[in-house]
Formats: sequence, C-alpha cells, structure tokens
Amino acid sequence: MKTCIITGASQGIGRAAAVRLSNEPYITNFVLLARSASGLEGTVAQMNHEGKTIKALPTDLSDIDAIEPLIKSIYDEFGSIDLLLNIAGYAEPAALLDTTNENIKTTYFINVFATIVITRECVKYMRNHPTKILNVASTAGVTPRPGWLAYASSKAAVVSMGETLTQELAEYGIKVYTISPGRCATELRRKLAPEEDPTTIMQPEDVATVIANLIHDDETCLDGQNLVVRQLPAPKK
Amino acid sequence: MKTGMIILAGGVGKRMNKPIPKQFLILAGKPIIVHVLEKVEQLKDVERVVITCPPEYVAETHMLLQHRNLVGRFTCVEGGETRQESVYKGMLELGECDTVVIHEAVRPFVSVAEFRELIDSDHENAIYGVRIPFTVLAGHEYVEDTLERSRLVNVQLPQKFDGAKLMKAHEKARAEGIEFTEDASLLFHYEQSQIRILEGSERNIKITEPTDLIIGEAIYNEYVLGRAAD
Repeated sequence: MKTCIITGASQGIGRAAAVRLSNEPYITNFVLLARSASGLEGTVAQMNHEGKTIKALPTDLSDIDAIEPLIKSIYDEFGSIDLLLNIAGYAEPAALLDTTNENIKTTYFINVFATIVITRECVKYMRNHPTKILNVASTAGVTPRPGWLAYASSKAAVVSMGETLTQELAEYGIKVYTISPGRCATELRRKLAPEEDPTTIMQPEDVATVIANLIHDDETCLDGQNLVVRQLPAPKK
Repeated sequence: MKTGMIILAGGVGKRMNKPIPKQFLILAGKPIIVHVLEKVEQLKDVERVVITCPPEYVAETHMLLQHRNLVGRFTCVEGGETRQESVYKGMLELGECDTVVIHEAVRPFVSVAEFRELIDSDHENAIYGVRIPFTVLAGHEYVEDTLERSRLVNVQLPQKFDGAKLMKAHEKARAEGIEFTEDASLLFHYEQSQIRILEGSERNIKITEPTDLIIGEAIYNEYVLGRAAD
C-alpha cells in the first residue's frame, strides 16, 4: 500500500505517468498536483480506479509557501508518502536578450524552487522507510540549447539536485532518480519546437514506462544517475 | 520505567578554529548534532530528550528539530558554564526519571544498536569504553608517574545512570564545588555505584579537532552508507 504524489499530472509525461502507474497494484493512493483543474480531471478519467484512491488537487506550485501545509495534509490523510514524482515543468523559450525577469522567475519557481520545496517537505515524511523520488529533468539540462536559456539552466539544476540528494538522502533509505527525456511529444515540447511533427518523436507513454520501471521496488541500481531517455529516430529510407 | 536523555551540545569549538560551535558544523551534508538526533528519534521508549546548548544556539536548535518534525519529545535548553552544570540543568529539565541516558552532540557515529544495547542492559549504570591502544603517562613538563595501560579504559558516550542516584551525586558535587569531566567519574566518586563498562566502538569518535571532520566523512561513507569508492 503506497502513496504516490505526482506533480504536473494534468498533461504530458505527468498525465502519462499517472495513467500508467494506476495499473500497478502496489500503489493504492495517488495525489495528483497541477494548476489546471480540467487537465487533472482529464487525467483522472483515464486512470484505472480499481482499488485506488485518487485525489486531484489543483495547485499553483509557484506559490512555494503553500507547499508545506499541502504536503502535511496529504500525509495526514494517507498516513505515508512513499513515492514523489516531480514532473511539473515550465518552458518559455527565448534568447538571453529577450528573456524577461518574469520568464526567469516563473521558470525557476516551477522547475527548481517548487521542486526543492516539495522534496524537502515530503522527505520529512519519507525518512526511515524505503521510498523513492524521481525528478524529470531534460536533455536540455546537459547540452547547450541557445534560445532556451532559462529552461535549460533550470533543468541543469534539476540534474544537480538529483546527484546531491542521492547522497544526502541515502542514509534515510530514500532513492533518488533523475531522468532527462529527449524530444518527447508534450505540450511543453510544442512550445520549444513548434515546427516539429509530434508523431515522429518519443511519446509521453514511453517515458511513463521508464518511470514505472524505475520506481518499482525491484529497481535498485539506477538511482543517482541522470538517465537520458531517448528514442532514436527511425532510419531514413 | 521512565527513561530520559540529555544530549550535551554546549561546546564552543575553540579547538576547531571555526566561528560556530563544532556540533553545528556540517558533516556528511548535515549539522553534526543532526546525526545524533536522527538516531535518538528512533528510540521510541525514551520519553523525553533534552538538548543543552549555548544560549545563542537554542533557537537554531529548535529550528533543526522543527525541520525534522522532531517535536514533542525533544526540547532544547540553555546549558551551563561547565559540562557538569549542563548535565545538571538537563536533569532538572527532564524531571524525575528512573534512567538518564547522556550523550554528546559531537559523537555522531553512535549507532541505534549501541543506544539499544545500553538502554536494554540489565545494569542500572552503564557506559561505553574502549581499550587504550597507546601508552599514557602522568605529568606535563616531566614524567611524574607511569600508568598501567591494561587497567585503563577510554570512556565513551552514551552512558546511562540511575536517575535518582545521579541527581544526588550531582548535588553533592555542586555543594562541594568539585568538577568532573564526565558522569561515570562523578557517580563513582560519590555513590561508589557499580558501573558496567560495555565494549565501545572505534567509529564512535568525538569530533574535536579539524582532522576529525575528515576522518568523520570517511567513517560516514564506509560505515553509515556502506559505500567504498568505486
């Protein structure tokens, strides 16, 4: 009986992960967080409800002061927090000279600050029993991406966070995973590469399968690494 | 059977040459005292835990507790001018206890199993000790006496004592104005109580000198995480 919190669950990889994991018998409680209430409703509608308690909480994660009481209320209701999937992401591609302060703030609040705060609050309840945290970074965090400065650098922070937390939380029995998806057909990707045909690239469901494999109890060796998740393009004929 | 614990965190870290007391220095990613608190957290039968620390660090210690949801059983009070006075103040804060366990914040590598062995020991007074692997002589500028190494023991914490007897011994020491460096000596001096010496561990070091921090990182990686370098 495990409780799993998923951020960014209203669309893309977050939604695909929620749907995929709802078929796992060992997770019984799901808490889905995202800003969009209608997006969350759409995710809940696609999930397997049999034997599951699913709670969708429309939440603006950029309000980081609201995270502490939110996580406490989740713990109080379910009695444990066992899995945390930090999937929420924000992107607003712009060249350095066009990157506004608002863009920088929003990107970092969602991709970095909220991820740190939600992790901190969850770890208070995840300590001392085997638990897992999975952060979704991006290949943009480890390769140069002119025109994506705020997003790419924020994802580099997520990669670094995973490496540090792997060591810092090891004593508590918490395993930390970082995945960096490459091109994936999400709404976010559409903003970053509007010209791309989404049917030709990796789908959110492919990433969700990787997530499901990593957070399964049987997986014990791949934590602490930045795992690039990428579908190689089909050979051109 | 009420068991209380005092965690001594009163050092000012002169030997470390650092602006903050050594118990608040970072070791393996967290303040040294936190390593101890997280072990004590797992001792559910210890009803109250009193941390004694310098007055200017009481608030900070409360924050460390709060950040880890260590509220309720744990509290922090101002320590005394001396180690002995800090123990006494800690006992006053604990109130009447059948057993008092004393540990120090700068011994981060005590294990939960060691705490358990001590608390569960049939002896009402028990301490940890390790054999002394080197020769100790009496004297400062000149040798004044030899000591028989095989009769000596290097005293470690944690320790546990009968609460009433320890309080009585402390009150006698206060009345006479005598200072002891630790509580087994004090209790033995006044009460001649039988104090069992349990086998301590090499890794339960006291972080005192700057090099101890370096050694501490190695102990953490090897014994706590169980990770040798790849």
